[in-house]
Amino acid sequence: MEINQAQKPFVGSKISDESFITLFMVGVLILVFVIASLVVPNFYKPQNIFNLITNNWYVIVLGIGVTFILITGNFDMSVGGNVALTGVLSVYFCQGVNVSQNPLANGLGLPYVVAVGLALICAMGVGAVNAFFIAKLKVPSIIVTLGTMMLARGAAQVITQGAQRNTSLPEAFGVLGSIGIPGTSIRLPLLIMIALIILAYVFEKKTVFARRIYLIGANPEAARLSGINVSKYLTALYILSGLLAGITGILLASEFKAGVSSRAMGYEFDALVIALLGGVSIAGGFGSVLGMFVGAIILSVVTSAATGLLLSPDWQYILKAIVTFIAILSQRFALDKRKS
Amino acid sequence: MNTIKNETLQFQLDRSEKIRSTIKQFYIYIVLVLIVLVFSLMKLDQVAMFGRGHFLSPDSIINLLRSAVPIMTLSGAFTLLMISGYIDLSVGSAMSLSAVVYALMILNGFSFLPAFVITLVVGIVMGFTNGYLVMKLRITPVIATLVTLSLFKGIALLIVPDGLSAIKGSADKPMPDWINYYARKEVFLGLPWAFWVAILVIIVLVIVQRKTILGKYAAAIGGNRIAADLSGINAVRIVGLLYILVGFFAALAGIARASYMSLGDPLSGDGMELDCIIAVLLGGTAFSGGEGSVAKTIIGALIIICVTIGLMTVIPAYWQVVAKGTVLIAAVVLNHLLVRDNVKA
Repeated sequence: MEINQAQKPFVGSKISDESFITLFMVGVLILVFVIASLVVPNFYKPQNIFNLITNNWYVIVLGIGVTFILITGNFDMSVGGNVALTGVLSVYFCQGVNVSQNPLANGLGLPYVVAVGLALICAMGVGAVNAFFIAKLKVPSIIVTLGTMMLARGAAQVITQGAQRNTSLPEAFGVLGSIGIPGTSIRLPLLIMIALIILAYVFEKKTVFARRIYLIGANPEAARLSGINVSKYLTALYILSGLLAGITGILLASEFKAGVSSRAMGYEFDALVIALLGGVSIAGGFGSVLGMFVGAIILSVVTSAATGLLLSPDWQYILKAIVTFIAILSQRFALDKRKS
Repeated sequence: MNTIKNETLQFQLDRSEKIRSTIKQFYIYIVLVLIVLVFSLMKLDQVAMFGRGHFLSPDSIINLLRSAVPIMTLSGAFTLLMISGYIDLSVGSAMSLSAVVYALMILNGFSFLPAFVITLVVGIVMGFTNGYLVMKLRITPVIATLVTLSLFKGIALLIVPDGLSAIKGSADKPMPDWINYYARKEVFLGLPWAFWVAILVIIVLVIVQRKTILGKYAAAIGGNRIAADLSGINAVRIVGLLYILVGFFAALAGIARASYMSLGDPLSGDGMELDCIIAVLLGGTAFSGGEGSVAKTIIGALIIICVTIGLMTVIPAYWQVVAKGTVLIAAVVLNHLLVRDNVKA
């Protein structure tokens, strides 16, 4: 009874700031969608709405890891390079041995399952390297992850000699990326994305681990003094982000039946943008996976509306920039209003 | 007994501190000399020492210094910004956009001076945009400048007509020959105007950092922002000015690049931000700000150019990215080991 009394002043603000921003961005999403439907023909059709969600599965999967890392106040710019590296490795590991004169057709000849496992381990390895520099050596995350991005993409380029590997692949290779629910256009990558979003949501809301991530972001020193092993948490998150990038890389490689060294160029920026659109703030342990998801759909609506208006693809860069700035400023404005 | 022990301990500490600071002071010169030495000893079976094709042949050195012009122009101002504890990741895009704008104007009949001045004004506007977003709207520097990276790049790509990869002359509308005078025509010691302008920029910025109030204020802001505010330094204005300077010199570097290539390539500045960061970190500037040296950044810039040009002759192009990533990580670690950060975050 007394507890209820004490909580009374907060009744007006039943929902948390994170949920508030997510709802706010849902409002923005609806607004953007209505505008897009008015100016772009056929934009409101169910098939198009379905595409808006499905076409961006890879950025959303990457966004999960990037969101949690941003909440701790760090960056992960290595995900794009990691996607490319993992895709190339998954191809290289299972290509036949000595099947051709062309060095790009020869691989290690491992079974596909083993190849996937090894590629995922390498992806987590990239995350572990990030974690070592950031958590142990306390080097700024933005610089280190830009460096590991170059290392990962560079390694992918070395393995493919700057091009791609797409020959002498086992039958099983293309299955993961193309298998789906028969009779629908729902594919495995989409299902994996949905499962990962649900898992991440439960993780974020229900586990102590996740709540501590917020504390680390809000005040790392206070987190350390209250007995949280900050470097352990950062390490786990970077490895998680590496794993997610690995999953994305393997699925993309399987979908295209090729390991391309230039795959996923700029995905790290897209993942960062959707997290920011979803209200994740680097300055204080703030944000949510659901918000990131909404942010991804907003970005998808804006870019596909631009394509629908026959704007040149070069507009994408400018649109992403403008939308991000508007999002950051409007979210801050909305939070300030709410608090005053 | 105890005091003696303390004194010896203190003495040992002093000595290790002294060794560290000596290494810190001189390591960058040693690294540069070592790298030059390694590359000049390579392929000696194919080319004569200082002969044609050798790393240290006059042609090669001139080529190296000409390639170094953009980063030499830009990294000085970048250092000042990083000394104040801020960062600008948009410099590469700013450089590309300037190159495109400059080439576009020259292609459309502008003469040298107006095109030059207008491009520099564009650079100032870009720097002002960054400064405004970071200092007035208080968006985290990394995020604000990453987003303007996308913005400037988009504008540069948009200016280039569809179907073309760069602003360049065509049969019915040729690019004037003189566009490359600035960065190619030899004026002194076999080096072009752009190089000597870069040298002048470096000298001015070294003086600014060491002898002027702007340099002192930048270090004060980077060392302790709150203390700087309390002692009456207008950080918003100082750092805003530094962002404008970085934009200005990015434009100057872009002009040099456009002139060197005789075209405006919207991707020509890609990766410049990383080169600048490597140069600054190699030069021993603390990442969190507070201390640093423009002069040493320039040595760092020369190291990067030596590595890039030197590697080009010995390994396939697809190794370049790995090599640069390795240099970046090495620079970060070296910087971490040698520069004692007054850890802020």
